[in-house]
Order: sequence, then structure tokens, then C-alpha cells
Amino acid sequence: MHSWTQRLLAAATTAGVLLAAACAAASALDAFHAPTVQAQAHVTKINRFHKQINGNDKVTLTFNVSADLESLFTWNTKQVFIFLTAEYENAKNSLNQVSLWDHIIPDKDLAKLQLEVKSKYPLIDQGSSLRGKTVQFVLHWHVMPNAGAMIRDRMALSEFTLPDSYTS
Amino acid sequence: MDWLGQKRAEMLMQVLLLASAVAAFVVGYVRAEFQLMLLVYAGGVVLTALVTVPNWPFFNRNPLKWLDAAEAERHPRPQVSAGAAAVGKKKSGKNK
Repeated sequence: MHSWTQRLLAAATTAGVLLAAACAAASALDAFHAPTVQAQAHVTKINRFHKQINGNDKVTLTFNVSADLESLFTWNTKQVFIFLTAEYENAKNSLNQVSLWDHIIPDKDLAKLQLEVKSKYPLIDQGSSLRGKTVQFVLHWHVMPNAGAMIRDRMALSEFTLPDSYTS
Repeated sequence: MDWLGQKRAEMLMQVLLLASAVAAFVVGYVRAEFQLMLLVYAGGVVLTALVTVPNWPFFNRNPLKWLDAAEAERHPRPQVSAGAAAVGKKKSGKNK
């Protein structure tokens, strides 16, 4: 500690270690946070349901999404990424997960959603098994903290049965 | 900076940094703003650097007192004569 450079380096190192400790503590507190998410999704319209030229079924939907995600936010939350998937089983795969829509919530004030949206991404099957198929809507969320590891969770929403015949 | 000053500077640095880290965490948590924690902590780090890095007069209140050169002549260093059995025998000669 005899020269000012030595003192500056010692102070900087200690400051860095303590900053890491503060971030670790902030992240650890998130483990005690138990969010209560409420969400619903209902299909309002099937825009198109047809078989592609390569033989895969393709559906485009319009649906209502209402969600209250305010409880996901803590003081250590940077943003929340949510996406809605359709999940179903067919002969080829025991679990198909197809992402239909996603959204980024940058702030707690924007965490109450009430939307009617078209599916951003079409529901395309690997094969032709969607006629009369019941699919489960699942809301997934990734909570991205300021410090610490990303927290992932999911919640099953309503089920929806596709029609027995193509629309076009 | 004297020896005692160095000890004080290190102590002061650690205490101030720890205190500002704890204060920043508490303020950030209570106000529920992560950015506020970082700002308070950054303020604490700058303050700590200002207090402990420069060589303030506060750190130089206990200068090291060297003995006068005359003392060395009055109390010469014990000399060991090589090979001799009488170890520690003093020679009343000049310092080599």
C-alpha cells in the first residue's frame, strides 16, 4: 500500500469483488420470489387450414391472449420474454411444440396483456396429422434478470380442437 | 505515506467499500431499483478512492524515526570471527 497505484488497484479489486457479491445476493433473493401468473388464450378464428405442397399440414389462427404477468417482475428483472406454443402428440413425435406467437415485456407497467393477435408463426405439422387434432396451448416465459441466471417456466392454457377438414 | 498510514488506508478502504456495498444493496432493494443500487455503489467507490488513494497528510502523522548515525558508532555491530570458537566476541574496532 506504499504507492498510490497500489492503493488504486487494491480498491478497484475489492470494489469488484463486493459488486459481484451484491449481484449474487440480488440474484439469490429471486429464488424466494413466487410469482402467480394468470393467463388465458382462446382461438377466435381459423384463418386458413390446408395441406402444403410438400404434404405438411399448415394452420394460421387468430386468438385472444389475456395475461397478468406483473408478479414475474422483481427489482432484479430486466425484461420478460413470453411465447405461446401449441403442443400435441402424433404418430411421428410423442411431443410436438410449435411456437405461434411471442412477445417481449420490457417493463412491469406493460405486463398486463389483453390482445387479439394473428399467429406470428404458422402452425405447421411434420406430416399430415392435424385434422381433428386437439392441441394444447402453453404459455412459456423466460424472466431475464439484471444479475443472475435466466428463469424459465410454463403454464398450460386451454385446449383447442382443429376441424376435421381443410378450409381450402 | 508512513507505515501506520498504510495500515489505516487499507482498513479505511475495506470498511468504506463494504459499507457502501451494504448501503447500496439495501437502498436498491427498498426502492426496488437495480440501477439505483449500482449508482449508490459507484458513488461509494469514487468516495473511497478519493479518501484512500491520494497521499493525504492524514496518513503521514507517524514518520519513521531513523537513529542518528552517531548511534551506530557508539553501539557497533557484533562481529563473528571466522573459525574461532569464541562466538559473539566483540571487537572494539571500526565498522567494516
